[in-house]
Amino acid sequence: MEVEDWAASSDGTADSDVYLQDTDDEEIQYESGSFPKLQFRKNKSKACWDAEMGMAEVMEKKGRIWTTMGVVRRSKTYCFIEEILYLAQIGALVLLDAYDTVLSLKDICEKVAEGKNGCHWEAFEAYRHLKSLGYIVSRHGVPWTMKSVQSFSDSACLEGITESNEIADRKSEDELSIISLFKDLHINELRLGFDVYLPNSKFRKSCPGDPSFILCLTSGQPPLRAELENLEKKCNGIPLKFCHVDHGRGIFFSFDKVDLPVPP
Amino acid sequence: MGPRWKGKGSEAKALAEPMSKIVQQLQSSLIQSQTHGSLSSCSVLIEAEPEQAHLLNMACFGRPIVTVEKDKQWYQLGFEEAFYLCYSLKCLQIVGVEDNCAKNEEELWKYMISKRTEFPDFYNAYSHLRMKNWAVRPGSQYGVDFVAYHHHPALVHSEYAVIVVSESGDNANRRLRVWSDLEGTIRLCGSVAKTLLVLTINSNGSDLGFPLCLEQYSIEERTCTRWNPEQSREE
Repeated sequence: MEVEDWAASSDGTADSDVYLQDTDDEEIQYESGSFPKLQFRKNKSKACWDAEMGMAEVMEKKGRIWTTMGVVRRSKTYCFIEEILYLAQIGALVLLDAYDTVLSLKDICEKVAEGKNGCHWEAFEAYRHLKSLGYIVSRHGVPWTMKSVQSFSDSACLEGITESNEIADRKSEDELSIISLFKDLHINELRLGFDVYLPNSKFRKSCPGDPSFILCLTSGQPPLRAELENLEKKCNGIPLKFCHVDHGRGIFFSFDKVDLPVPP
Repeated sequence: MGPRWKGKGSEAKALAEPMSKIVQQLQSSLIQSQTHGSLSSCSVLIEAEPEQAHLLNMACFGRPIVTVEKDKQWYQLGFEEAFYLCYSLKCLQIVGVEDNCAKNEEELWKYMISKRTEFPDFYNAYSHLRMKNWAVRPGSQYGVDFVAYHHHPALVHSEYAVIVVSESGDNANRRLRVWSDLEGTIRLCGSVAKTLLVLTINSNGSDLGFPLCLEQYSIEERTCTRWNPEQSREE
């Protein structure tokens, strides 16, 4: 009889387990074998590090990477430390200092580890993970270029949109120095970190559109409701995602507000 | 994730007998039979006639206790369930065991808080979901506070595993305060095909006594899910 069925199962029928594979640890080599290596690139771009700005100016561009990386100011392209390290790791960029000395991968890693150039190690891991999957990633709040197409009304193209190119040029100098002031990063701060766009071969810096989502870098604890609400207010309806980096591994989360439907 | 119905015909059965109607029938039946529950330090016991037993099962209230008695069925209700029937639906009288006197709602509220500091938050979460016609069961089998079903568990898999978090006071529930707990809970929910639903309760500084304080509470619903960047690259 129906009643018996219902009575028997009301106390929490075990829903079938869905087997989740997580082969991470199994990927570590047991026998000594060759390490996975990236392909050696012949065409390396060149950039010159500016310690005061905490960024590098790109001196020689090679390949198509610069369509989705670096910010443009006064017709010059500048890149942040996370972009530099990412490109250096894949052999696509050589970084020089003011004296034309090549900076080693170790030197570049140290600049990230220091956390003084607007990006610390956890943030880099989130950046690297998404970049390696083809996403287009920029620092939140930093326009790709100040010379934007003025005909669209997208909210993502911040201050630059209504200004003439001349004024934009003058402003970009100030703006770069403001960026460079993001020196000290507190790791235990929940903040808007990166604007993330889906992979797009037609991406244009002058007209990027709204990001797919904004990635927040997390603090030592999972975010509280009030913190989430605070961040959402700053985002104009663009979804948020969160990345928690633990032992060098980034795990991504969504904490979306919902309103459960009312069954009859 | 919409409701996942179990087997053919379940969705139709649920539509034919909506949970709201079942709960209403339970309410009427309990009032008519003047059923009362006995208060203990962690639950309320009901000795139910066959008709009430049937409805308690259908509406997913309480756990049956197996006894030799043939014509009565004993049930054990959790505090939230009992208080909901008593205060929200006004269909259950609850009696103290020592004095056999019916407790009024305020006495009951205070008593339950004295046994479980998190009771006000849990009660708010429970009644919030019940008032939305969800069937709410204890979540201890899954390491969460509640599980919420679109209808009876025999007909549908539960969609949400619920954790209650308090924004006011000292958050007696202490869940999800460290990453490993959040990650573990999401993982567990995923392996049983449920979404983690976090209900954040705020008493909004209410100093008011019962029952006015209940009106001051606010609840926010959020889902916590893992996002896999490998899988989401195409628009």
